[in-house]
Amino acid sequence: MNNRNNNISQGVDWLVVWLYAILVGIGILCIFMVEYRQGTDWAASFIGGKTNYSKQLMFTGICVVMATFILLADSKLFTAFANLMYAFGILLMMATFVVGKTINGSKSWIPLGGGFNLQPAELCKIFTALALAKFLSRQETDFTKVKSQVIGGIIALAPAALSVFQNETGLALVYFSFFIVMYREGLPPGLLIIGFSFGVLVVATLVVEPNILAATLTGIAALCIYILKKQIKKKKRVLTLIIALWAVCVGVQRFAVPYIFNNVFQCYQSTRIYSMVGKDYDCSQNHHRGKSTDTKPAKKPDDYNVRQSKIAIGSGGVMGQGFLKGTQTRGKYVPEQHTDFIFTSIGEAFGFVGSFLFLSIYLFLLFRIVRIAERQRSTFSRVYAYSVASIIFFHITVNVCMTIGLFPIIGIPLPLISYGGSSLLTFTILIFIMVRLDADRQMVLR
Amino acid sequence: MDVKRDILWRVYLSYIVVAIVGLVIFGKAVYIQQVQGKHWRSLSDSLHQKIVEVDAERGTIYSEDGQMLSTSIPQFDVYIDFAADGLREKNGKRFKENIDSLSYCLAGLFKDQSALAYKRVLQQGYVDKDRYFLLKRNISYRDYQQLKSFPLVRLGKNKSGFIAEDKSIRLNPYKNLAFRTIGLARDSFKVGLEMTYDSVLKGKSGNRLVRYIAGGVSVPVEGGYESEAEDGKDIVTTLDVFIQEVAEEALMKEMIKNEAEHGCALVMETKTGKIKAIANLGRRSDGNYYEDFNYAISPTEPGSTFKLATMIALLEDKKVSLNSTVNLEGGTWKVADRTVFDSEKHGRYEVTVKQAFELSSNVGMAKLALFNYGSAPSQFIRHLHQLRMDTLTGIDLTGERSPVIFKPGSRFWSATTLPWMAFGYNILVSPLQTLTLYNAVANNGVMMRPYLVSTIKDQGVALREIEPRVVDEKICSEATLKQLKECLEGVCTEGTAKELFKGSSYKVAGKTGTALVANGSRGYEDHIYQSSFAGYFPADNPQYTCVVVIKNKPFAQVFYGASVAGPVFKEIADRLYTTFVKQSNYASQKNIRKDSSVFSYAGYGTDVKDVMKSLSWNFKDSSGIDMDWVNVSARNGSVVVANRKTDVNKMPLLKGLGLKDAVYVCEEMGLKVDVKGRGRVVEQSVLAGQSIAKGQMIKIILN
Repeated sequence: MNNRNNNISQGVDWLVVWLYAILVGIGILCIFMVEYRQGTDWAASFIGGKTNYSKQLMFTGICVVMATFILLADSKLFTAFANLMYAFGILLMMATFVVGKTINGSKSWIPLGGGFNLQPAELCKIFTALALAKFLSRQETDFTKVKSQVIGGIIALAPAALSVFQNETGLALVYFSFFIVMYREGLPPGLLIIGFSFGVLVVATLVVEPNILAATLTGIAALCIYILKKQIKKKKRVLTLIIALWAVCVGVQRFAVPYIFNNVFQCYQSTRIYSMVGKDYDCSQNHHRGKSTDTKPAKKPDDYNVRQSKIAIGSGGVMGQGFLKGTQTRGKYVPEQHTDFIFTSIGEAFGFVGSFLFLSIYLFLLFRIVRIAERQRSTFSRVYAYSVASIIFFHITVNVCMTIGLFPIIGIPLPLISYGGSSLLTFTILIFIMVRLDADRQMVLR
Repeated sequence: MDVKRDILWRVYLSYIVVAIVGLVIFGKAVYIQQVQGKHWRSLSDSLHQKIVEVDAERGTIYSEDGQMLSTSIPQFDVYIDFAADGLREKNGKRFKENIDSLSYCLAGLFKDQSALAYKRVLQQGYVDKDRYFLLKRNISYRDYQQLKSFPLVRLGKNKSGFIAEDKSIRLNPYKNLAFRTIGLARDSFKVGLEMTYDSVLKGKSGNRLVRYIAGGVSVPVEGGYESEAEDGKDIVTTLDVFIQEVAEEALMKEMIKNEAEHGCALVMETKTGKIKAIANLGRRSDGNYYEDFNYAISPTEPGSTFKLATMIALLEDKKVSLNSTVNLEGGTWKVADRTVFDSEKHGRYEVTVKQAFELSSNVGMAKLALFNYGSAPSQFIRHLHQLRMDTLTGIDLTGERSPVIFKPGSRFWSATTLPWMAFGYNILVSPLQTLTLYNAVANNGVMMRPYLVSTIKDQGVALREIEPRVVDEKICSEATLKQLKECLEGVCTEGTAKELFKGSSYKVAGKTGTALVANGSRGYEDHIYQSSFAGYFPADNPQYTCVVVIKNKPFAQVFYGASVAGPVFKEIADRLYTTFVKQSNYASQKNIRKDSSVFSYAGYGTDVKDVMKSLSWNFKDSSGIDMDWVNVSARNGSVVVANRKTDVNKMPLLKGLGLKDAVYVCEEMGLKVDVKGRGRVVEQSVLAGQSIAKGQMIKIILN
């Protein structure tokens, strides 16, 4: 097995590396666009290390070093240490409860000193992907068995659960993207369909008036009974199933959803979700509100971010306002524009055409990764590559949907573009481990 | 293979899901940018675009001879925002590093506080986190430019917190000269011509659509809705700096001599009704005189100058002739329980009407009025109405107050009203009205409306000329007019003003007035006399009409019209006669040819060159490109444009500059300017090359 050439470039998929480089480059330019003020010496401030874009440049340097190390490493290292690293990641996440630092209301950071903080939930994405790949690639794993599916699910969702407890709901959602991988590996589609239907039902509950929805559901049930009346005559169970489903749906719509919104979610979360579908949430129903009365009343409306973001994207028009010319961007009207709302700067400066091209690059990268995944001989590499694709896909989708008001605002950065060392480093490691594994695609890794 | 198909199907499904999500995002993006685009863009505009007002530059007020009476110059108020992020960054590092050098520079520039004191106030402001700390008000443009180069300040608004608010203030180069009439132009308070012609002077402020970007900086939106600020128009007044100076000097001299309370002197051009000078002086508590109130347009009891109106009535109605006799009773006459006194003792009894007028006899006038109009006082009042004594003159100056003339039947009308009115009591008439009446007599019965503004100009081009306006073609018959003139001339040769005009080289027609005026609630007890003189000159061909009214101090020694107001009138008349009337006679005789081969002028470089180019003159340009001020002179038959050297903090050479340029140069250097004369600068009190200090006074003489 050790016949591998020491030349690291051998077998490397350079297209992915180039796409990676282009995206990171665009990212730095975007942050520059957001931060730059007329009249400052841009060259000096790039090197100065005080502005965010120069910091991001620094992080990029670190990432290049990291990527080189990964490409130099042995692929077997990743399979060998997958479980160990996963355990380490879980430990780190638990450690936040003890030594964690609260940033923006979520206690999910470990201070590293020197002003740097580490978010284990970010890093854990890599470990989870590796662990899942390791588990699915085991000879003895038969993913058609329910037991294996449950274990896979637990591997994926354990960090998510911890994340929720850290009050970092956004990152927790990312872990659901592993279900796409598991689906590829044989997870019965029924699960996804049920999940999807549940999602539709929840959204419908929010959008449609309760009584009308109940009547519609009853109508659908009645229609099903009518269509399936022959089967029902044969098997009474079908009828029972339909009635049970109907009961569950109405129950969810009538009681579960309101209960969750009023008792589980914080007031602001409910408001955000409601505002996404264009409705107002009555916070007085929320049982958390008692706690929040002592906090300062928010000056800005809760959909302020989305509104500003939409203004930015909307005022871009077809061709955009031009590099460094966006008003929303230059006026710093969009909050968190260098991190979560970085997409707005592209939308405003380069308009529809720019955003389209930008998203095309992403889409190209995704399809390339899926292609890489499908050409692997070893299950480990394939599952891992799929995980990478899923995570990136989920990030892009949620982030972009968030900025254009299709999804409630949860703090999910745009991969490789948003400002932030943790995030950039995580995606670099994620992608370059894949590139390393792909370089060894002739090997069968276990 | 079933497994392979299953997997392929799954992969395709994944692709499809990705594609669908992509499509949804794509669709939503199109929706936001294209369908709702307008909505979001307008929302964006409403959030950070604002229409701001662009101030127009206020017009300049010129005298008739082209001198600036009031103009606008820029000034700055400087504030510091001590809570500026840039300033407080890194625990105030920037502030602490620069405060010493900044304080030193500030002390050096303004010279009003020591560097230590500046440092103290700045530090206090920093501690208080004052967001709008006033550093200094009314900084000149030059100082402001210098301030901008100081440490900390030069780092810009965001880092230093320095905010400058620019404004323009009005400057009257001639200071006190006709100050009340030119007026004030403060935001809240305007008087005089500044007020009357405010709508013309102020221009139209423009609108500009600006967009606010970070740091509160606004940038104009290209192609946005915009209307240019329309600068205010200039107005040219009828005032003549020379005549105004003459009037003011003469008035001032006499007022100081008599410690008079207040006074005014007005000069009108007889033919046109143009007000050539309008001087108002009021005594201040420190004994100095100052243009504090426009006495010229405020009605008071006119006293004996009003007897002219009585005479017009009597002569027009042919009630008397100049040779009719009237008994003056030695100067005192009792009527309806009140006694009429003649203010000047004469001890005469039987005199002619003309003599009664010349002696300014109150008894005479009271008697004549009572005997002739006693039964029908409204006839007398009707005459006053015809002479427009009961209405405003219509001068284009805000603040003219209505005269008061009682009518028979009013509750103020008593048995003594008519006789007292006849010698100028029991009525209120402004000096300007008296002037208008006397001018009508001088102008052969044609009554002109007095006016102050002759032209409205826009960038030197006349927009509107204001022509003299006749308000009454004939105030009385030719015969009456002849008699009136005879009487007025008689006053100056035979009557109360005989001594005053003894030996005068030209003939003057006029009337003295000495009136005991009421002092508020104290009535006539304080013996305050108002001395006045109204007349025109030269009597045979009247050019100017002049009215002088002086209110004396209580119990003044000298109070007669002929001895207080008279000398002022005489001085004005003498000087105007020698300068204008006599000279115009000479000018027609001799045609002096001027040698124009030697000249030297100075001005603003680009302007000078523009002018020369548009006149297509050939000139040798030896000035640099960046030089502001240049000399134009003749050298060996060709025109040469050369540099004027200016050193900072050294007095520049002003010679050859026009008033506007000279004042600009001086104000910019922080000098206070006192101007005399007109034309171009010939003398300056601080010589060129001397070092100067801020606020120093410099006198310049133009010719």
